[in-house]
Amino acid sequence: MTNNIWEAQLDITPSDHKPVELTLDHCIKCNICVTACPVTAVTDLFPGPKYVGPQAGRFRHQGQPSPDHSVDYCNGCRVCNMVCPTGVKIAEINGRARAHIVQSGQVPLRRKLRNNLIARPELMGKVGQPLAPIANVLLHSGFGRFFAKLLLDIAPNAPLPRFSGERFSRWARKRPDAVRSARKVVYFHGCSTEYFEARVGKAAVQVLEANGFEVIVPPQNCCGLPLLSNGEFAAAQAYHESNIHHLIDYVKQGCVIVGTSTSCTLTLKEEAPEMLAYHTPDAQLLTANTFDIHEFLVHLLDAGELKTDGLKPMPLTLAYHPPCQYRAHRLGRPSTEIMALIPELTIIESQAACCGVGGTYGYKAEKYDITMAVGKSLFDFVQEVNGPIAVCDSETCRWNIAAVTGVPFVHPIELLAAAYGYEPEGPLAEVMK
Amino acid sequence: MTNDVLVIGAGLAGLTTAWQASLHGKGVRVIAKGWGATHWHAGCVDVLGYWPMESETPVANPAATLPDLLAANPQHPYALVGLARLAAALDGLQQLCSDAGYPLVGSLDKNWRLPTAVGAARPTCLAPATMIAGNLDDHAPMLLVGFKQLPDFYANVAADNLAQQGIPARHVALDLPALAGRNFTTAVNLARFMQQSDFRAAVVQAVKPHLGEAARVGFPAVLGLEEATAVHQDLQAQLGRPVFEIPGLPPSVAGMRLHRILKSAIEKNGGRVYDGMEAIGFAADGGRVTAVYTETSGRPRQHRYDRVVLATGGILGGGIVTNHAGEVGEVVFNLPLRHPENRLEWFRRDFLDKQGHPIYRSGVSVNENFQPMNGRVVYQNLFAAGNTLAGFEAIRERSFDGVALATGFVVGNLVGN
Repeated sequence: MTNNIWEAQLDITPSDHKPVELTLDHCIKCNICVTACPVTAVTDLFPGPKYVGPQAGRFRHQGQPSPDHSVDYCNGCRVCNMVCPTGVKIAEINGRARAHIVQSGQVPLRRKLRNNLIARPELMGKVGQPLAPIANVLLHSGFGRFFAKLLLDIAPNAPLPRFSGERFSRWARKRPDAVRSARKVVYFHGCSTEYFEARVGKAAVQVLEANGFEVIVPPQNCCGLPLLSNGEFAAAQAYHESNIHHLIDYVKQGCVIVGTSTSCTLTLKEEAPEMLAYHTPDAQLLTANTFDIHEFLVHLLDAGELKTDGLKPMPLTLAYHPPCQYRAHRLGRPSTEIMALIPELTIIESQAACCGVGGTYGYKAEKYDITMAVGKSLFDFVQEVNGPIAVCDSETCRWNIAAVTGVPFVHPIELLAAAYGYEPEGPLAEVMK
Repeated sequence: MTNDVLVIGAGLAGLTTAWQASLHGKGVRVIAKGWGATHWHAGCVDVLGYWPMESETPVANPAATLPDLLAANPQHPYALVGLARLAAALDGLQQLCSDAGYPLVGSLDKNWRLPTAVGAARPTCLAPATMIAGNLDDHAPMLLVGFKQLPDFYANVAADNLAQQGIPARHVALDLPALAGRNFTTAVNLARFMQQSDFRAAVVQAVKPHLGEAARVGFPAVLGLEEATAVHQDLQAQLGRPVFEIPGLPPSVAGMRLHRILKSAIEKNGGRVYDGMEAIGFAADGGRVTAVYTETSGRPRQHRYDRVVLATGGILGGGIVTNHAGEVGEVVFNLPLRHPENRLEWFRRDFLDKQGHPIYRSGVSVNENFQPMNGRVVYQNLFAAGNTLAGFEAIRERSFDGVALATGFVVGNLVGN
């Protein structure tokens, strides 16, 4: 038996892969992107997606000096792509322009060091997680933060997560009660679940197993998005190739890849191939078979295969921020559709374009104030809703908003797992006591 | 929420359709490739500006002129809508905007003549209260205010042109300290600044020495986004005379306000409006559209809805595409279109020909229930609204918003019932 529950949809030919830079010819200069850009709205340092993307794109040429002074202030939220009426891939144009600056050696050494450190959560996790008790104290001490700023220009108030006591993949490997089934999915945990928030991965496994799937957790790497966002394309491509190597055989056997970190799944599907212009047959196969977890659950729901009976009521009113990286999948709001199944749960959705953190963007001292200004309306919203916890699909957004508002955040999959009757961990456990 | 009505397109027609259908309690989803016509048009409702099209004189009373138009062009979307439902659509939008604290002023009996950004007179039926003091039937002297850092509005050009038409108009270009560090700014950024009281105070302080005889003061349409009415009233109070906005180049701040009001109304009724969702295909069975597919990051997403409304716009909006071979196509359902057969007949000789260009009349033919037709109804549950419809010349007639609003209103009620 295969997992091809979406088979009915595959007779539609997906749109062609236009080279990113060629899409700039579709720009009609209407400036709609400028009206929607959350960064332009708060700082003069970023004049707007149209100017920096398709417009400056006409002045970029390999072997010529870069015309860019402001492209590095794009935080990659992709709101511009979403509102563009003519399909210009503005955020990707910006990302590739930044990579050109990096490759041509125009980034000062201290910043390049910093960017290469914060863009490697996998490396940080491998080093830091085994030393979790010490690393957490050090990273969260005023002393540690002072030196991080002094040496590497890392914003002293940026929201650093805490290493978890146990790596998620270790938990997954040693479970005696794992479900065995002919219906198999591969779970892509990403660095955040692996090193910082194992509870999200546990909830995902519980939900998938409750729906009769066997969950495979193969070795895997960082998706490479932080490196892509910092213009370090060679290193990002190495990660992407490694992930294809680890995952593609499962896909060829009929498994799909399901992830809870929405920017990781977007990277596997689209960002890595587009930014790197990496469209091998295996990369395309991975794109076609990777799912954000709630996208996957909505497919089950539409097919009448999602477990929806006996859900535990959750009498809570919670703020939910659908993050920009999640909206950029262009799926609508699958998480909202799934959370709506939980009895007595009231979800109030934010209208904010972006929380501002942009993955690693908000960790940079020179960009921290912009992050705070971009996220302000969202921070106010979360505090107005005033729930005991709040909900968001993306980890760096959760950490950022929680750090500013003091409201603990959970991933929406944790709510469904708890509604299925599994024992929650972390902030949700406190609320459900 | 049930899957009742899927609207493809989020311009004025699509949003109006969804708003009306949602008022009937239907489960509504709007999908759009991006934001569209609302951000491009002036934020007014032009119903009929010129008729006959070659006329040099703008229509003074649309209600009185429309019967002539319908008699001459029974295929016109207004003929399908009928004057009563057109009036109801205008009333409905006025009520919605009024409830949102942003009144649209006017009626079908009278066109305003309001100034454009180059100082020409433009006929329009409904305009926001923030624009009305620009009325050119009133000859009171005006001061037009520009901003040195806003290259989208040259107060001197508008003022000189108005003065030549007998409207006493002077101009000033402000160079405010708050903007001094910028090479340029945009209308939207200025609108955000205008919502800050200290910025407004600086504007007032800079304008006051230039007031002189001016009985009214005109600004580009940048007087706030969601707080436009308060910004407008505050400036009037501080300057001690009527203040008006002049819409200019896209993106249109006034159009964004309408977009926001309509989207909020849909969402308040439980509907959803999604951007970044391009419709790329569909499935049909037994004469019905069973699913619409949209492009996503991985694979097409399926939308199964009981009724589907096509509101993707015309050639300008992207709902209708043309190519060098002279083919004209509709982008989602590949519907049969009415269009000039021969590419040589697409255009007239003069760019600004008073009759407009025949290609712009291309569009979808519909029956009285706004169902696309090909001799017979193409799909029983498919409807079309707005500028994707055939048989009219929105640009020359100045009927773009009126057709979008009225057909959206009628179709929204049809699919909502």
